[in-house]
Amino acid sequence: MFTTEHAELTTGPITYRKGGNGRPILHIHGTGGPNPSPVLDQLAQRHTVYHPVAPGWDETPRHPSVRSVRDLADVYADFIRTVIGGPCDVIGVSFGGWVALWLAVRHPDLVEQLVLEAPAGMRDPGTGGLPKDPAELRRQTYARPERAPPPARTQDVYWVNRNLRDELGGGITLDEDLLASLPRITARTLVLFGLKDEISPHDKAGMRMRKGIPHVHLTYIYDAAHALEFDQPERVGNLIAAFFERGEGFLVRSSQAA
Amino acid sequence: MKFSYFHLMPWTDLTEAPTQWPASNSTFNAPRAKELYDSYIDTMVFAEQCGFDWVGCNEHHYSPYGLMANCNLIGSVLTQRTKDIKLAMLGNLIPLLNPVRVAEEYAMLDVMSGGRLVAGMIRGVPHEYIAYNINADESRARLREAVTLIIKAWTETEPFGWEGEFFEYPSISIWPRPFQIPHPPILMSASNEESAEFAGEFRAMMGLTLIADLNVARRSIEIYKRVTAAQGFEPPPSHILCGYNTCILDDDAEARHYLAEGQRYFHRILMASLRDAQRLVITKSRYFGQEKIGETFVKRLVALKERTIDEQIEAGSVFCGSPENVIKQIKRVHGALGNGMFNLNYKIGNIPDPIVRRGMELFRDRVLPAVADL
Repeated sequence: MFTTEHAELTTGPITYRKGGNGRPILHIHGTGGPNPSPVLDQLAQRHTVYHPVAPGWDETPRHPSVRSVRDLADVYADFIRTVIGGPCDVIGVSFGGWVALWLAVRHPDLVEQLVLEAPAGMRDPGTGGLPKDPAELRRQTYARPERAPPPARTQDVYWVNRNLRDELGGGITLDEDLLASLPRITARTLVLFGLKDEISPHDKAGMRMRKGIPHVHLTYIYDAAHALEFDQPERVGNLIAAFFERGEGFLVRSSQAA
Repeated sequence: MKFSYFHLMPWTDLTEAPTQWPASNSTFNAPRAKELYDSYIDTMVFAEQCGFDWVGCNEHHYSPYGLMANCNLIGSVLTQRTKDIKLAMLGNLIPLLNPVRVAEEYAMLDVMSGGRLVAGMIRGVPHEYIAYNINADESRARLREAVTLIIKAWTETEPFGWEGEFFEYPSISIWPRPFQIPHPPILMSASNEESAEFAGEFRAMMGLTLIADLNVARRSIEIYKRVTAAQGFEPPPSHILCGYNTCILDDDAEARHYLAEGQRYFHRILMASLRDAQRLVITKSRYFGQEKIGETFVKRLVALKERTIDEQIEAGSVFCGSPENVIKQIKRVHGALGNGMFNLNYKIGNIPDPIVRRGMELFRDRVLPAVADL
């Protein structure tokens, strides 16, 4: 269903997967790189899903001008204008959630609705973060390891991706500038956290976004850790689909729901 | 040592045992029930004057065994008629209920009482799963998710949604939140190894009821302590609540007589229809994760039914007799279990309320002074 395509943006080339047909969704991946998930397949049944590889990730060319999370958010804004052709719904996962938040702050005209899955950039220093030990990383990523996907890349490529993330993130865990800018977000936003997430702990981060973003819903996913789309694909997929398709109406349980 | 006064609110007027579950309510008499509620609530209020630390009640369905389909309604009355005593709901049968409703009602009780709620989070005895048509196989998983959700509802200060295995809510923000911060103390049943582990996992107080064998009870307490220790939590003795059917009168023989009569009514009439339903759930579902625990549950009920009062005293299953002998019994059990709290049920079957009240007075005047410092 998904095809791999390429485009030229103002700052450099970009590779992306595209699938489905319908109202467009941009999916921004996390630290490790893009991972095709059952949630993307579900959304692609009613939407056109764009799943770009951030420049420099998975051995793609870096864009020399991209030196921060904000710069990367601007790349995605360029992607929306150039490839998608206009405003769209956005999903940001983990580090991609941090990027998506800046995208919504800096380019509110391009983000119609926003979903953040265990977003980074909002946690207290000294809490959470990605473990270095692979076994511990896997334990903290998946509450249901039997549902984890096979590795999509080698450890060497993973660490190139991760180091690039660290470089762009600048060692920040709580992005104070972003926190102060949250009230500028105009997109209706849904924030998801797994209750077993130790990488992006939900307590303070969730409250910060709940208080800062003007139109926001915060939902906890039970029996899920950091990788929400793999731990609980059905719940997460249905929730995101309802939010994107029914807007505020996703709160209403109805047999007439689309 | 702390003490709780517990009430089941039994229906006392049956002359014949129900033949099947659920018990027919054809002989129910509403004016008589009004008398019973009035008397029972008066007795529970009286517990505060008798030096009890808690007054407790619980939830049962479809049975003359207990007239409290929702013990929170009784708790609500007690918030207005008592001042200092803790109100122990022991408790709501969490897997059967809407957890948000439980969070709300418990929060109301906590606020209305000025922070006196002890929140029982109970899985419920097996037959209750037939009553509310809930899959008994899922009882423990439902309990785990619901308790997690209730704690979240109590402690979150911004609206949140919940996507779980059994419960889904698009947005939750309860009013009121509890009086006690971060939330009221939680008590869970720990009458077998499975449930002791569960209570330890949530760092809840543990409750033991229907103790048939002190060694088995000690084993449950050891498991609870081991699980909590592994989590870096050392529960104080007051976290361990042991439930005891109790009859205290001036004379040993008189106490034995009334307890025996009350137990006869309890086992032959009130429990008659429940046993079949319990056996059905235990044998036809995975209510107990381990088969041997289900067998132990049934054996324990049978053992308690067949023993004489003297045998029950010897086994450490009841407190019965004169104040002096009950003091000895309490000290013996405390020495064996190391618990810091007893939950005393005086209204066994159809024991008359004046006998119950006399026992409470004797507890206040002659038993409590001798055991309060244990």
